[in-house]
Amino acid sequence: MIDEGLLVSAVELATSRGATYAEARYQEDVSDFVLMRNGRVLSLSTSVVRGVGIRVLVGGSLGFAATDRLDRESVNAAVEEAVSRARALAPLMKRPIEFDESRTGRASYEVVPKVSLEDLGVEERVGLGREAYKAVGGALREARLAVFVFGVRTHVQRKLIVSSDGAYVRSAVPRISVWANFVEHLPERGTIQRYADFGASGGAERLKEWRVVEELVQEAQSLERVLASGVEPPKEEVEVIVGSEIIGLVVHESAGHPMEADRILGREAAQAGESYVKPEMIGKFRVGNEYATVIEDPTIPGSSGFYLYDDEGVPARARYLYREGLLHEPLHNRHTAKLFGTLSNGAARAMDYSREPIPRMSNTYLKPGDMSFEELLEGVKLGVYMKSYMEWNIDDIRWNQRYVGLESYLIVDGEISRPVRNPVLELTTGDFYSKITGAGKQLRFYPGTCGKGEPSQGVPVWYGGPDVRLSKIRLGVAA
Amino acid sequence: MNARDVAERVLGGLRERFDSVVVKVVDRNAAMLKIWNSQPGVLQMWRDISVYLLLGKQRRLTVLEFEVGSPEEVLDAVRRIEDYVTRVEESELYAEPPEPREPAPLEGGYDRRVVDHLSDPKPLAEAMVSSALSSGAERVAGTLELGEVEVAVATSRGFDKSYRKTEVVTHLRSLRGELSGHWAWGSTQLDVGAVEDVGSRSAGFLELAKTKARFTPGRYDVILSPLVVGNLLNYVASMASGMAVLLGMSFLLGKSAGDAVASEGFTLTDAPRDVTLPGLAPFDDEGVETYNKPIIRAGRLASLLHNTATSRMFKTTSTGNAGWTNPRPWNLVVEPGSSTFEEMVSEVREGYAIMNNWYTRLQNYVEGQFSTVARDLVLAIRGGSVEGYVDRVRIADRFETLLKSIKAMSREVYDVSWWEVRIPTRAPYVLAESINLTKPMA
Repeated sequence: MIDEGLLVSAVELATSRGATYAEARYQEDVSDFVLMRNGRVLSLSTSVVRGVGIRVLVGGSLGFAATDRLDRESVNAAVEEAVSRARALAPLMKRPIEFDESRTGRASYEVVPKVSLEDLGVEERVGLGREAYKAVGGALREARLAVFVFGVRTHVQRKLIVSSDGAYVRSAVPRISVWANFVEHLPERGTIQRYADFGASGGAERLKEWRVVEELVQEAQSLERVLASGVEPPKEEVEVIVGSEIIGLVVHESAGHPMEADRILGREAAQAGESYVKPEMIGKFRVGNEYATVIEDPTIPGSSGFYLYDDEGVPARARYLYREGLLHEPLHNRHTAKLFGTLSNGAARAMDYSREPIPRMSNTYLKPGDMSFEELLEGVKLGVYMKSYMEWNIDDIRWNQRYVGLESYLIVDGEISRPVRNPVLELTTGDFYSKITGAGKQLRFYPGTCGKGEPSQGVPVWYGGPDVRLSKIRLGVAA
Repeated sequence: MNARDVAERVLGGLRERFDSVVVKVVDRNAAMLKIWNSQPGVLQMWRDISVYLLLGKQRRLTVLEFEVGSPEEVLDAVRRIEDYVTRVEESELYAEPPEPREPAPLEGGYDRRVVDHLSDPKPLAEAMVSSALSSGAERVAGTLELGEVEVAVATSRGFDKSYRKTEVVTHLRSLRGELSGHWAWGSTQLDVGAVEDVGSRSAGFLELAKTKARFTPGRYDVILSPLVVGNLLNYVASMASGMAVLLGMSFLLGKSAGDAVASEGFTLTDAPRDVTLPGLAPFDDEGVETYNKPIIRAGRLASLLHNTATSRMFKTTSTGNAGWTNPRPWNLVVEPGSSTFEEMVSEVREGYAIMNNWYTRLQNYVEGQFSTVARDLVLAIRGGSVEGYVDRVRIADRFETLLKSIKAMSREVYDVSWWEVRIPTRAPYVLAESINLTKPMA
């Protein structure tokens, strides 16, 4: 960790130079990664990225300067640069930038793993990859495992945030993730590809909880059946049960992103886009029915998106993005909160020291219902169950979205039937949240890296939900 | 301490501890002005030194990346991992660093004027924004990025070189009502006219369409703007990496040089020696001299992209595209055609011109099954004329199908780089036949 005096004096220097707000954030990201192909090690990787990001508000103009040189002279030079260049742009500010009056925290917190990541030896990581390759290859009956790529990544993130508004937040969060990308091949049927991942904050204990090898074997066998005998989805309107993996992605893309306040205001217009949501729609616009409750919560223990204070030092809390079908509360940092006339709800995150904090998701999920999977199936005369996906995308206002099912099945008379290959769920956000007719009671989470901002910032998140039943859906099929 | 000094210091500290060492150092001084609602949102500035290491020991391979400020800290951090390097098996990817050769010099990629504007991007930003607003935009958003970098590579075989370059990457989205247009430009050279052109061109699109047209999903002739061509070819070229093929992340898996993968008129070149495009490099991350090379020539796969390790696995030679462990393209250049945008429009009976896209994702890399969503203007063309506009349709097809459906390319090409075109690309407008377009229908 850095000498905190360096950050305190940087903030003092900025304010003495005329900054009305100054923030100095030390961030250190240390990652180790093992990459394997077909059970053999390709490479070991280590990444150490650490430095200080300085953000200042001068005359209503926002400046950000980052340096990886941690001596006083370099940090102070970054402060001087941020202040002077922000000041130079102040005359262009038709609407000067201001921050809200949020209370910032003085706190220190740490995620303590049950099994330290340092105790996870390289041999153990490699052994897991080798075991997974052998098990998956051995589990296939007809298809050939064309390629099996496997990775284990550990990541420890440490931060110290100091601001002129009183923030002093020190944190340490370890994370671990495992992923596999594999391709199965049947000469007469082509190929099927799966990218599967596991991720959480915490330590090496996660590996056992995830049952990585068993899960991958089960998926590989299911996908072999899809490849060997998958049929086209029905052409008529049917009921679709969307698995929790896809639901998680749907709510991330079509509730989380459109409810980011900076998008709503146009700050991402040229990058990740704007939003179908306009400020005046909050609390009034109905996007869906009573099942449409989407929650964003950075405080979920063990989650990939875990934090207790955001990168402006504002305390984290759960937020209802959509509540029983109504747009409820956007994700704010202190700048967007001021523009909305409210207070930040602690959504400011930065990927690393060299990026500015902007409103981001953390862990986003659809509120579970009370039905078992069997109850969701009940009464479905003809339908499709889409359990997993590979391809997806959504337009730049987060309204027109598409998910292509990977492991999918026909539902006939309330029972899972033959596999279906490449069904396409392509619908609007309004349609999705209005066509939910049932939600399962089991909430599951999936890891992801959410991208946004320029330069692009990828931050770890979870997204999740229950299995959900949609009515009157016309599916397509991938080209 | 400059990049080369850092590289030499790190190499000196490691060469006795490892069998092979490759050090790459990138010393960056950059600024990016982000604009939204026609005013500055934030000015971001970076001064950092990134150190990348490729270390070999007993045929084991370790890749390291550091942004820690000093060579001493890099050497300290390497000690942390040193003991576990040899605790794993030999890597298929292990290769001795190549025998050093003198790369041909590459002059002209450094423009002092870019550095001068680094400390004061205001006049350039004002020129771009004014140009858009005076061309019909109600509001604009975008970025202007200026930077200088020094890149040094040193290897335990004796390679020790560096080069400097500058870059200007700018893009702007002009919005008016529900319409928007977007344009982008990237270069190593400062050209105020080109920066202004980004503004006026992005707004100029807004004049192309007045009324909303109807859309029904189906197969259509499609004109793709250079931004769309750039985005899709970024994927195609990345899938030409030998590593992408090895990892099953490429539709070129199983294909050989000479196989038809595109229409006859289509040639895509990796062009590290084009000194006006920001991805220029006289040598790659292993010190191998770069050269311009076709990836696809006249519709046929010409070459995958290799570093020393992947080239050995494919029984060929490095193409100067290292990248550890993933070979990558530097700059992409599409050979122009003989048409114009207007001529292409006149040839389309029923189709669409897609002016920008984003969110390209694949269902299956080996099959090349993808979709991407149009953003900004999509022109509906009927009977050879623009009838109106539709919004946010989706291309959902296969890369090989798309490439083989190319019927015409414009003779004018454009140097585009932006958020969705990370590998600088010189691209024409492209006309492709019978491409699958979709959109949710209410």
